Parts: sequence; structure tokens; C-alpha cells
Amino acid sequence: MKKFIVPLLIGAVLSSGYAADDSLKQEIEALKVQMAELKNAQSKINIDALKAQVSEIKAHDAGDNIKWTVDFRTAYDAVSYKLNNAPDQDNGIWTNKLILGMAAQPSDNLIFRGALGVYKSFGQDNISQTSSFQDFDWYGTQKPGDSTIKLREAYFLYFGDIGDVHYSASFGRRPSVDGFLENLRVGNADPASPIGHNINMEFDGASFKFDLDKVTGVSGMYFKICLGRGFSDTTGAYSMNSTGFNPGYIEDSNNPDMDLAGLIFQAYDNGQYKIMANYFQGWNMMGLNVFGQKAAYQYWNGSGWTTVNVPAFNFMDVGDMTGGALSLQVTGIGDGMSDFLDDSIFFLSYAFSKTDPNKNYFGTMSGSTDYGMLGSHESETGSSIYTGVQVPGIMKGQRLGLEYNHGSKYWRSFTYGEDTLVGSKLAARGDAYELYYILPILKNLTAQFSYIYIDYDYTGSDMFFGQTGTPMDVDKTAGAVKTAQNARASLRYRY
Amino acid sequence: MKKVLGLLISVFLVLGMMSTSALADSAKGQKYYLKYMKDGSGMNGAKFATQHTQTEWKALFDGKAEKFVAEYATKYPGLETFLKSDKFEKFMPDIKDFCMEFASDSGNVPSC
Repeated sequence: MKKFIVPLLIGAVLSSGYAADDSLKQEIEALKVQMAELKNAQSKINIDALKAQVSEIKAHDAGDNIKWTVDFRTAYDAVSYKLNNAPDQDNGIWTNKLILGMAAQPSDNLIFRGALGVYKSFGQDNISQTSSFQDFDWYGTQKPGDSTIKLREAYFLYFGDIGDVHYSASFGRRPSVDGFLENLRVGNADPASPIGHNINMEFDGASFKFDLDKVTGVSGMYFKICLGRGFSDTTGAYSMNSTGFNPGYIEDSNNPDMDLAGLIFQAYDNGQYKIMANYFQGWNMMGLNVFGQKAAYQYWNGSGWTTVNVPAFNFMDVGDMTGGALSLQVTGIGDGMSDFLDDSIFFLSYAFSKTDPNKNYFGTMSGSTDYGMLGSHESETGSSIYTGVQVPGIMKGQRLGLEYNHGSKYWRSFTYGEDTLVGSKLAARGDAYELYYILPILKNLTAQFSYIYIDYDYTGSDMFFGQTGTPMDVDKTAGAVKTAQNARASLRYRY
Repeated sequence: MKKVLGLLISVFLVLGMMSTSALADSAKGQKYYLKYMKDGSGMNGAKFATQHTQTEWKALFDGKAEKFVAEYATKYPGLETFLKSDKFEKFMPDIKDFCMEFASDSGNVPSC
């Protein structure tokens, strides 16, 4: 029996083993086919094409949205003034300044740029009640006020090529503060459009730029036509007259349209030497027309109420003005003489201004009437020089700057938007000195100290164009500011 | 007033001493491009930087930028002398930062 069963069992086991082996072989073969198919499919995928596609999507999305930037500064400003025959004055002011930058490039030849700004002093939201000129349009985001968000820049650039001439046309609120040279002291790598020596204020207008470097073979050569309106002759909606409402936005005869046309010419820029010039004509410059007084407030004098009056005024066209500047910046002194000189910047600039007064009579602060510009019936010419250096600081990445400028008796700049609390140093009719030190703390966080000392020769710097701009000897004028100082310590975050 | 200023300046100086911001600077890179490379390449910096994506620039500038030198010295013979000089080696981190900053997929909008 055993003899019969054992061979049978062995046969059964062997036969099932052979069957399992065949099945395994078939599965392996099937897997091999599948792997070959997968390999084949994988080989057809083009990794480079996928990478290119991802980059294309990334680039498209990046250009399809507004790109925001943040420029936020907290600062402490110490201001002090020495007055002629009057007590000295000083103050310490903490401020916050926020500039939200916007940029978008929806197509290859169209760019939009903008900036919204708030510049406020700590805990103060009614500062405009202290001054009729606090909310002036020329420096809305450049002088600390309240927490209102204001439009600093908004413009588009359309560009293309006419043969070898690359051109751009732009309309909107201009990038006209912290321009060429001025950008160094405020710690900005790139200057805004104008030469900061004589133009540094916010305004609306247009520009047309033509690059001439390819045509002339002169590196960086271009010219730009700039047009702007610094004041619009218009009422608002629902303005009133003595009998009722006016139609909306009619001419307000008291306020002239104040227009400006200018030419910016960059003669040369090879990255080391940069020469720029500008020339402008301004029409209908505004002067203060004092036509009466109005009660500001009353105070109790011990025995009765005393009314304090302030001038009632509007603006009047006092004449036209021309001006210009010629500026040189050297980025890297020499070539390879030393790391220090390679990393140093030097600049020198000259600017002039010339008035052309009309004979429109206006009321003065003293109650009389007069005409003219900057206190003169004649055309007056003023001039200014501005020079400075910026060199490496003690630690790598730090920068030390020294600047000096001098303005003559009738010098008049358009630098109302300069970021200084004591008034524009570049507008000074006298001497101004500045020392500043920039310390990067992190890639996006920078500390800066600056100290400005202005020694005035004449009054009327940084004022309007009529009688308030009259240059009077500060040593002979009671209450005149003889010297002004502005020390600032700030922390700035940029991203 | 003077005490507040003095205190702030002292704090900032200490922070400044502790800072480790020896970082590349794209603005400097742009200036170096203008000074040493614009004539050789025949195009402005914004156009130059958009030739590659950030990843591509990174790969080209990897190490001592050998790949960048090889590609651009061939593509623009006018750049060869500068790219093979000590100056390029010195300014390379800033030039790289500039190219990355305005790469075609950076989303940064050139200032024109």
C-alpha cells in the first residue's frame, strides 16, 4: 500500500511545483511588460519642457498681479531753532512713515507703478488744525501729519522703440520726490525722476523719455520732457456763493493754475560717471494774498476775553519762474585704486532760479498791497551749490555721508517735499551741513542717524513765491530763524 | 530730547556691530552691470536680467559662476575680458543678486 501511495504523493507535489513555477514566470513576464511600458512612457516626458512651463506660469502670475512693497520707518526727530531776539525753540517728535509701493506689468510694453503713503506723528490726529498748509498737495507723504493714507505716486509707463530710440510715455502722479543725489541721504538705492537739488515735491503730470544712447553711442544718454500742474484753478463740488451753490468744479479766480514744463537731460551714465541737467519753466507761481483777518480763538486775559486774529488769505499769481541744474555723480572714485575708493560716491551740483514777476497786486501781512516775486519788483536770480560724499562705514555694508549746500539771497528751489522736519535744507539761503550714517541690521532692516545744521543768511527759504519769500537779513529781522538743527534716529523696514 | 537721541544712537550702534549683513546688493550689481557689462552685451540691465529664470540664474552662478562665464563669454565676446577678470570674481555676488532680482519669473517690475 505504502509503495503505491508514496510515489503518488511525490508525483502530486512535483506536478503542483511545476504549475506554480509556470504561474510565477507568467507574472514576472507581465511585470516586465508593464515596466517596459512605464519606462517608455517616462522617457516621453520632457523634464525641461515641464520646467519651462512652470517658469512660464510663474512669470505670468508674477506679472499678472500688483506687486506690493513695504517701506516703513519709525523715527525720532529732535528739532531746535535759534531765533533773532527771541527765545530758542526745540522739540522732540516721534513719527511713523509707511509707503506702500505698487507695481504691475500686464504686458511687455506697459508698466503701472504707484505708492500710497502715511506719515504721522505719534498720537496726533488733528495736526492740520495747527497749520493751514499742513495738507498741501506738494508734500502729502513727506511731512508728518495725521493717519490719513495719501496718494504719493500713481502712473503708467508705455514704452517701445522708434528705430534705435527707446521711448516711454507716462501720465499720472509723478515719482518726483527723493530724486537724483537726494536719494543718497535718504538711503534709497535708486533715485526718483528729477534732480533732487532743485525739484523734490509731489505733483501730477506727464513725462516723455527718449533714450539716445544707441543713436549717439554715448552711454546712458537720454532726454525727458516733464509736464506738471502744481495747483489747479478749480472749486470743488457744492461750493457756495453769497446766494447759494455754485456749479461744480468751476474756476476759482483766486487760485491760478500753476504749471511747469521741464527738460531733463542725462548727458552720460556709464555706471561710474553720471552727468544730468535740467531746465524748467514754471507759470503762475503762487503767492499769498492776505485780504483780511479772521478770529482764530479767544482767551481770558484776567478781566475779559481777548480775540486772537490770524490772516485771511487766498493765493494769487505773482509771476513765472525758470530754473535749472547741472549735476555730476561719481560712483566709485578711480578704478581699482582701493576698495574704499571703489565703494565711495562723490557728487557736485549747481542750480539756479530766476523770477519773472507780474504786476498783480496782493495784500501783505502788514496790511499794505504790493506786487512782485520774492519781495522784489525786478527779475531776481538765485543760485545754489550742493556737494557731498558717501563712503563705506566702519562695518561692512554701513555708509557714512557728508553733505554741504549753499544758497544765495534769491535762491528758490522746489524742494518742499524734502524729508526734513526743519524745512528743506536745499532751499536754504545760507549754508547747510549734513552728516548721516546708515547701518544695515538685517537684509530688510536698516538704522540711520542724520544730523542737519542750517545757518541761514536770509529769511524766506522754502516759502511761497510772493512776499512771504522775501529775503531779509536774519541778523536784522526780529524773530527770524538764524539756525536750525534736525537730528534724526530711525529704523526702517523695507521689503 | 538729547537723552532720547543718545540712547537711540547707542542702541543702534550696538545692533549695527552685531549685524551680519555682509549681503550681496542688487543695486550695486546693477551699477556694476552698467559700468562693466552693458556695452559688451548691448542691452540694458532690465533686459539682460530677464534672459533667465531665477532657477536658471542660480544654476549659472553656482560655485564661481563658471557656467555663466562660459555661456556669456561665448554669447557676447565683448564681455569675455571682464568675465575672466578678477573684478568679475569680486563683483560676482552683487551681479548675481541683480540678475536674480529681475529674473523673468521674479515678478519685479523694472523701473525703466
